[in-house]
Amino acid sequence: MSSALLRIFFKLFRGSEKIAAARSFIETYPIDEITQKARKGKEAVFPFSEKEEFGKALLGAPIFEQAPLRYDTLSKILLVPPLFTPLRLKKMQEILREPVFTDVDTSVDVGGFSSSMPVCIASMGSTDVFNKVSLQVARAAAEAGIPMGVGENVATVWGYAQRRRESQPCFKERVMTYLQHAEEGRGGVFIQQSVEDAYDELWNKVYSDPDITPYIEKGRVAFEIKLGQGAKPGIGGETFVSRDIALKIRDKYHFDDDPATVVKEVYSRHSAPGTFTADILRSMLRLMKNNYPRCRIWVKAGPYRDVEEVAQIVYEQEAEAMWIDGKEGGTGMSPVIALKDLGLPTLACLQKIKRMRERGLQLDLIVSGRIIDGGDVVKSLCMGASAAGMGRPIVVAAYAAGEEGVKRFLEALKMEMQLLISALGKYSIKELGDEDLRATTPELARSLGIKSVYD
Amino acid sequence: MLKPPIQELQTYYKTIRTRRMQLILKVQATAFRGIRDYLDNNGFTELLPPIIGPVTDPGIRGAKQVTIDYYGKEYKVMSSAILYKQMAAASLDKIYFFSPNVRLEPLETATTGRHLVEFVQVDIEEANITYEDAMRTAENLVAHIVSYVVDEAAPYLEELGRTLRKFRPPFKKITHREAVELLRSKGEKVSYYTEIPWEQEEKLSRMFDEPFFIIDYPKGARGFYDMEDESRPGILRDFDMLYPEGYGEAISGAEREYRYEKVIARMRESGEDPAKYGWYLDMLREGIPPTAGFGIGVERLTRYLCGLSAVWEARPYPKIAGVYSP
Repeated sequence: MSSALLRIFFKLFRGSEKIAAARSFIETYPIDEITQKARKGKEAVFPFSEKEEFGKALLGAPIFEQAPLRYDTLSKILLVPPLFTPLRLKKMQEILREPVFTDVDTSVDVGGFSSSMPVCIASMGSTDVFNKVSLQVARAAAEAGIPMGVGENVATVWGYAQRRRESQPCFKERVMTYLQHAEEGRGGVFIQQSVEDAYDELWNKVYSDPDITPYIEKGRVAFEIKLGQGAKPGIGGETFVSRDIALKIRDKYHFDDDPATVVKEVYSRHSAPGTFTADILRSMLRLMKNNYPRCRIWVKAGPYRDVEEVAQIVYEQEAEAMWIDGKEGGTGMSPVIALKDLGLPTLACLQKIKRMRERGLQLDLIVSGRIIDGGDVVKSLCMGASAAGMGRPIVVAAYAAGEEGVKRFLEALKMEMQLLISALGKYSIKELGDEDLRATTPELARSLGIKSVYD
Repeated sequence: MLKPPIQELQTYYKTIRTRRMQLILKVQATAFRGIRDYLDNNGFTELLPPIIGPVTDPGIRGAKQVTIDYYGKEYKVMSSAILYKQMAAASLDKIYFFSPNVRLEPLETATTGRHLVEFVQVDIEEANITYEDAMRTAENLVAHIVSYVVDEAAPYLEELGRTLRKFRPPFKKITHREAVELLRSKGEKVSYYTEIPWEQEEKLSRMFDEPFFIIDYPKGARGFYDMEDESRPGILRDFDMLYPEGYGEAISGAEREYRYEKVIARMRESGEDPAKYGWYLDMLREGIPPTAGFGIGVERLTRYLCGLSAVWEARPYPKIAGVYSP
């Protein structure tokens, strides 16, 4: 393990009881790759740890997975460029020179926001590990000009406008840090409200907050209805909280033991997944539109088997975006059995997205769940996603090198996307399509409705 | 868009002594007598209004409730007394109260001329009636108030320069869908699925020269307590009454959902945990009679009666969204 990795290891997982979780994360997540990007930015797009190595190496495509896959992932499909690229010719006519990858325009409009690239930062909630670095991420995301989520329970656990604990930013700091650093007209923040946050009417509070109102008026704020998440579809938020915090919020959550009567160091906090029917969702969306006409409305769904039906309702009720989080999606806390056995993999969510596009669904769809690099993003877009969502890579980048680390990671990500899209002979996001994809096996090709590498 | 008188609000102790304010408050007091005169003579019992409680009305467009610390527990200040109206009508059949409400409205409402953070509504509820019956009560009440004020407050109205004419019910009824179509035909962008925005409501109100009803709102546009019409899924058995001449909403009312299971499902629409409505759900589970009723805001009523441009003129100590004042 490199020293950089070790440092992150210790920062992320202080305390011996967390070692097992740390080991599993290090073993199964490309932390090294993300750390390199966070530390070196665009330089890390090339496979050298030092510039001097250039010209002294012989390289080729990787053909091994580190471990056998349990189900198909984005690594099972490839982006396959043609030689003949009429759109490159068109670009050349427009700019009067041979186009290069930096000519790719990565900007998109997603969910009512303008974004510098088709990437959004996932709504991460109140778990310590993210909340601690949340302000660094907020500044980096704002300056990069990409939308950012604020997950559930942040206000209830860490306070709305005042910190409950010195080391932990409160809700409004996260929101305002983003909004104050964002360039005029670029990006936006989407805010979740859990059942427990609803107790304190978080959205109403935001909607009547004099500091946030100017940004609402400029269309920079969305409310994101959470219908689930990839790592635990159908299961509510699960987390541990320490006694001082548990005592403050004991009326609003279910705890394993009542912090008022049972004294221990940490309490397991359960929140409800929320009950839905098509009718409840429809009415809920109408209610949101009715109550918050100046906010965008986003919906975040887990990898449910009826996700297409959900999307249809979300579309009909004119919400601005729907986010679909595949089962590989990150989490601060989820039962092991849920991680193992619940939900559709990200690639299967993309197949549903593709099918919805073929039926003409116009809704902005954002996909997430182990999206690691520019390749994953571009493949998702080719399958019909409007943007890809990222959580864990951002956290790792923040721990590796703080705000600058996140910025450099995003720069590297953008460069990877530009390289790939230009290779396909395209220069804007909307030109991408399933013709750019090939599945590595005929069977997967059939399932996804794309060509295989043998076609 | 109206500019709230932010400076003047700081010295409203002067404003209240002006002749204009005295006249307005005289007309308002006459209207109160008119309201009580009608309701007391029609079998209604006046009750004391609730002010604080464990929960209040969640069905308020974008407005925040006020929470107070109650010996270490949380209480809400009533944003409306809706839940208690059902409770009271279950006992006395026909009830009303003058109910003070507080709603931390979004800042945009500071300029509508129609919103106050602190206001009073007369809440009226009757057991075992339909929303058609409730509308009959509403139109008779409004017609009575106007006629009472025209007769009893004539010199004040004259000095204010307001000509008010009496109306004869029934008032015209249009459905929410028809209202949306009417507005769309005038080029307004309005949705079939939400309440009509304030600006468009004002335009609609200008198209009429008598008070009128908008009925049958779409589900999702109102709180969980408005009953859905079983023969027309997605449509609520509810109504608003609008004043004419651009004065907008006068009354909001409905037949109430009183069945426990239905209420639980409807509560989910606002993303809330039904558990927080403990006492209310216990009451429904044990059973209450169906009721219907409405609320009429007295500042808006006064604004209409006196022909004022903004509701803050109809209160001696107005609180406007975002403005800190005495």
